[in-house]
This record gives sequence, structure tokens and C-alpha cells, in this order.
Amino acid sequence: MTDVRVSETDPFESAVPERDGRRPGNPGPAGGSFGTADWLKWAWRQLTSMRIALVLLFLLALGSVPGSMLPQEGTDPAGVQQYFTSHPALAPLLNHLGLFDVFGAPWFAAIYLLLFASLVGCVVPRTFRLAGSARTLPPRAPRNLARLPASAGYATAVSPAQAAEVAARVLSSHGFRLRRPAPTVLAEPTVLAEPTVLAEPTGAPDSGSGSGPGELEGHWVSAEKGYLREVGNLLFHLALLGVLVSVALGGLFGYKADRLLVQGTSFADTQTDLDEFYPGRLVTAADLPPFTVTLNTFEASYISSGAQRGQPNSFDAQISYTASSGGPVRTDRLEVNRPLSVDGAKVYLIGHGYAPEFKVTDARGQVVFDGAQPFISGTTGNFLSQGVLKVSGAQPEQLGFSGVFVPTAVDVDGTLESVFPAADNPVVSLIAYAGNLGMNSGPSQSVYQMDTTGMKQLTAAPQLLRVGQSLKLPDGQGTVTFTGYQQWVSLAITHDPGQLPALICGMAALGGLLLSFVVRRRRVFVRASTSPEGTTVHVGGLARTDASGSFEDEFASLAAELRSAHQQAAQDQGVPPSAPAAPNRHEGE
Amino acid sequence: MTRAPVTRARRRAVVLVAAVSAGVLLIVVLVAGWAGSGKSDVTEVDGSTSAVLYAAGHRPVAPGFSGTTLAGSRLSFSSYRGRVVVLNFWGSWCVPCRAEASTLAAVAALYRSSGVAFLGVDVRDTTASALAFTRTFGITYPSVTDPSSAITLDFTSVVPIAGTPTTLVIDRTGHIAGAVFGSTTYPELTTILAKVSGKAADEAVSR
Repeated sequence: MTDVRVSETDPFESAVPERDGRRPGNPGPAGGSFGTADWLKWAWRQLTSMRIALVLLFLLALGSVPGSMLPQEGTDPAGVQQYFTSHPALAPLLNHLGLFDVFGAPWFAAIYLLLFASLVGCVVPRTFRLAGSARTLPPRAPRNLARLPASAGYATAVSPAQAAEVAARVLSSHGFRLRRPAPTVLAEPTVLAEPTVLAEPTGAPDSGSGSGPGELEGHWVSAEKGYLREVGNLLFHLALLGVLVSVALGGLFGYKADRLLVQGTSFADTQTDLDEFYPGRLVTAADLPPFTVTLNTFEASYISSGAQRGQPNSFDAQISYTASSGGPVRTDRLEVNRPLSVDGAKVYLIGHGYAPEFKVTDARGQVVFDGAQPFISGTTGNFLSQGVLKVSGAQPEQLGFSGVFVPTAVDVDGTLESVFPAADNPVVSLIAYAGNLGMNSGPSQSVYQMDTTGMKQLTAAPQLLRVGQSLKLPDGQGTVTFTGYQQWVSLAITHDPGQLPALICGMAALGGLLLSFVVRRRRVFVRASTSPEGTTVHVGGLARTDASGSFEDEFASLAAELRSAHQQAAQDQGVPPSAPAAPNRHEGE
Repeated sequence: MTRAPVTRARRRAVVLVAAVSAGVLLIVVLVAGWAGSGKSDVTEVDGSTSAVLYAAGHRPVAPGFSGTTLAGSRLSFSSYRGRVVVLNFWGSWCVPCRAEASTLAAVAALYRSSGVAFLGVDVRDTTASALAFTRTFGITYPSVTDPSSAITLDFTSVVPIAGTPTTLVIDRTGHIAGAVFGSTTYPELTTILAKVSGKAADEAVSR
């Protein structure tokens, strides 16, 4: 897209048909007879124009905005519910527009597919154009090379035919693509034309020097270089297409998931065992790579003194994992920004916290809970963490506890505060409830929230427990013991099959862009003719005007090399350099 | 202008190629989407999309497993060979599992004399909570603990288990013949069991 227009008005591209040119047989929409086919062609041309592509790109960006402003079904269904409750009038309308599932909405897909089609429609013709331009020979050497932006001239002792031969050799060794007069022209310098002349556009500004088919006599060489520019341009467009395909791949076949893992426990990458699971469009439960991860130990160290006190020093999660069920067990360690790569998925360490351990017996003396319950901390407060413990198996009444875990507890005026994130003085503070947890029917519940509407509070004030201490519930409802604590980590699991292709395509796009910026198309012409001094050689050159900065240097060095090659050729022939180089009449014009 | 026809032909070719490639892409996407939702070897049970019967010849082989029961003894799935097995994936924390627990206990009692074995796989749980669950709902059949979800993982590779509860009915040859994804109901489970064990619920109880 970037410089399609530029190259269409570029004299270098003149041998290639213009894509948008309005020829008599192909009028614009304002033209007279305009059939369905013409309309389709017109629509296709519009779609593949850079302007429309940019508009689509902008729309794509604009369309993503509601995706981040409004709660989305895929990531936050509860948020959507809440939005419906709080905006009863607006929400159904937004829902109708698909704004709660933006990335799955038909209109978003339409933008995406149109952009894709636009890019395809832009890149495919360009491929043909590049292929065409690679096949097209450079134009004939203009008659008057002195008119070109860069030119030089000198006399030599070798014959014009030989001078052209030597020039061709020199230019060829520099990687230039050559065009020379047809063999008949070499034999008979007065022959005017060769058959291909008819195919050449008569008035085309192919060299900017006004040369026509009638000025072809003589010995000349046309040389052109810098086709990589077009290759780079094309690579950029293809890579852009590749990025879109990669993103689509990720959206269709990738997934994201979260899992909170308590020290000493394991999980498997199955939908059953993940806390949150956001699959791509074509991902099913059976597509998940079958790895398992066990958190052996987790250690977090904190700065213990100074102004930075309490700031994390390092996190170190020692894990063991298997890439498949029953496969060999490997060990690794996870750190922040050092994920585990397994089965094409990446497992990131994204958070950690404390899970106090409790043992609960019910009124009948049965142990109804014995294990760790993860508590969640806010962003501040030195890991002062909140959580609930729902003992649904307690009889005759279910028990529930809401509580706070304080890693390093200090009593500040009757309020419990944590003064350090490490568990130096861990306590829990619990409020006990008994009744119905509401778990026998209805939707799934969060393990971090408790609905106390069907329960009665058993203890008036929060009860403080240290490790090993028990709380006897009133009326013989049972006991709860704070038996210890574990640490937990939260893991983010991502599988994006488009990630690597997107990276490669991104790099290719950058490389292509660089190529098209750095490489210039440039042409050099050499014409040798008989003169009173023997043979006069004229050299002329031009480069794209937008990047001609260093072409003058390149041209000067080429001209000097041509000159010394001609001198060398003359010496080899035994002709004395009787005619010393004429002053470079045209240099610097 | 001898060039014009050549140009137009090439232009037409270009448009054609572009249109065809866009069309092919669209078809690929559509086919991929269709293939992802295709289910031809499965029939729905009792009008429910979450309860299915697999046609003979399309029944996946149940993976073998062994583990520790909630009671603390070892249990190997291979010892159930030759019997119809109802395998229930559950957890005491799981609300829909509590909803179906009484049904499972009742159907298990109903089919006990017919030789249908019930077996639980307790997922993401602690033993104390799981035992309390079985006491609460009067579940007497054994459950294997699956602390690392290894058993669930193996079964997920043959049946799309998307969460708890999931109930699989395994035939006498060790193939998965039916499945209920989500909380099972009495009609769903007894319909599948009647097909797989050859005994309707009322026959099962009379024996």
C-alpha cells in the first residue's frame, strides 16, 4: 500500500501498465455505459486502493475500542450481566450491535475480511507488476547523455564497438542489468530499429531525455540496478498480509487460561483443571496440549530494611512438569518474565499469595475440611489477604468463614495490619457463619466469595488465630483450627500458534520496508561514438529523485572505473595513450 | 496502442487470481468452522445436547488408570473389565455436582444388582471435603482422587470433558458408549444405561 501511487507516477515504472489509469475502454463510474462487470471492477479497484485500506485499518482500530471500554462476554461475563442490570435501556441495544462480543461480531469480521481482501487485491497485482518489471529490459540509451542528472565524458583510443564492450563488462560486474543494441546494430551502425521498437510506448518518458526510436544508432549500453527496491516493497506487503493471517491463526486456534496453584499441588492443562479458560474460535477441550505442572516450592524474598523495605527482591518457583500424561518428569523454575515453554504453550508466573490451611470439624465431630484455601491480597497492604472458606459438607448445618490472613501482623490501635509481606508473624482473623451456603443448586460459585444471605453469624467479632490455635464455634457447631499456610502462584497459560509467524512476518515487513527505503532504482548509460580525437565515451546516469543523495558518488566512481577500464583496454591493444583523457566536460552538471 | 489488449488480459488475470484466492480463503474458513462443529457419530439422548450416545464403532476406548480412593485403598480400572461402568468426574466444591449427586446415588443403587459399577473421579479436591460430600449425599461407590488431574487429562484426549461434572458410561468392552456433559438427570442416565447395559431402569430394579 505504502507507495503504490508513487511508483505509478514514476518514470521507472512506465513500461508497466498503470492499474488505475482510466482508458477509454474502462471508464470510471461517471462514464456512460457502465455494466455490472464494470461496477464490480470499479468496486474492486476501490477496495484495493491504499485509501480504502487505510480507512479499513482505522475502522479496525476504532472497532476494537468498545472491546476495551465495555465488558466482553468472552472475558468478563459477570461484568456484562452487571452492565445489563445497571443500564437496562442501553444494554440490549449495545448487545444487538454485538458490542459485548466485539471480536466475534459480524461487523468486526467484515472489517477484518475486507482489509484482508484489500491487501490481497493490492499485493497480488503488485506481484505481477514486479514480475513484469523484472522481465522488462532497461530503456535504450538516450542520444544526449549530457542532459541526464549525472554525466561524464572522455576520449579513448579503443574503437566505439570495443568501448561499448568494455563498458558492458564493467557495468555487468557491478550487478547492473544490461541492455545493448541488437547484434545487427553492432554490425551496421546505421540500422535504425529493431523489431521490439514497436512495442515501446512512443511518447513514454522512459529516460527523460527525449530520445526516440530514430536515435538508436551507435554503440551504447543501458544498465539498470536496484530491483531489490520493488522486492522489498512487495515483501513488506506480503509480510503485512502474513501478520493478519498470523493474528487470525492465534484467534482461531490459540487460547488463554489462568490457574492458581498452591505449593505442593499439581494441575493439568485441561479445561476442567483451569480457573479461567478463553479458547479461540476453533479450540475445543480436546485441543489443549496435555502437560501437567507441579509447584514444588515457591520462594519470594523481600528487601528487609531501608526505604525499599517490603519491596520484592526475587521470586523463584521451582516446578516439575510433564509434557504429556505419563511422560518423563522434568524440572524447571519460573520467574517473572521467564515463562515455561511446554507443548507449544507458555506458562507465565504472574502473581503469588498466601493460602492459609484449616482443619474444620462439624457438630458431629467429623473432619469436614482439611487443606489450604487461597486468599487474595490487594495491591497494597503487605499481602494482607482476604478469602472465604466454604465447608459445604458440614452437618447438620453448612459452615462458612470469611477471614483475613496477615503475614506479619501488628496491632495498630486495635486494627490488624501487615507490616511486611513475608510470613514472619502469620495470623488469621475469622468470622464464622452457619446455615445454607446456597451451593445445592444454581450457577457455579466463586471460591473467593460467599453468599451469607442464608447464614447466621456465629461470632460477633472477628476471632484472631495464630498457627496451631483453634476456635470453638458456639453451640457445639464444631471447631476450626488454623494449621499453617502455603504459598500459591497464579499462572497464565497462553498458546498462540500465530505468535512466531507474526514475529517472522513483522521482521520481514520491517526488512522489506528498509530495503525499499535504502535501495534505489538507478540507470547508467554509456554511449561510444567516433570523434576527431578517436572515440568519445559519454556516460550518463539517473536515480530516483527521492533518494539520489549518494548516487552522485556512485556514479562518479563508476565513471572513473569505466574510464580506467577503457585506458587499460587501449594499453592492452598496444595503442599508446596518445589521446589523454579529455576534461570531464559534463561532470557535475 | 498494441499494448492495450495485453494489459487488459493481464489485468483480468490479476483480478481473477485475487478473487479466486479470496474465495478459496473464505471456503477454507467456512469448512474449518463447519468441521469444528460436525458430529455425525453421536446421537443425542432425551433431546439434550449435553447427553450423548456414541454409535457402535465410534466408541472411544477408555484409557486405563489407577489411583487412591478416598478411603485410602488402591483401585485399578482394569479390575472393572467386563462390566458396564459409570464414571463420574466430580468435586465437592462444584455446585452442579451437588445437584446431580442424589441422582447418581439413586441410579447406582438401582443398577447395583445388574452388575453396573459406579466409580467417581474426585477432581481438585481435598479428601476431607470429598468424604463429607459422599456422607452428605449417601454415595457408597468408591471415588479415586485425581489431585494432578492426570486421569481427567487422559480421558480428555478421547472425550471432550470441559468441566465437572462429566459422566461417562463405559461398555463391557471398555469403550465409552455414552456421556453426559454437565449435571446429569435421572432420565438421561437411565436412558444411556438401558442402551448400554441392556436393562431398562424398571427391569434393573426388579432383579
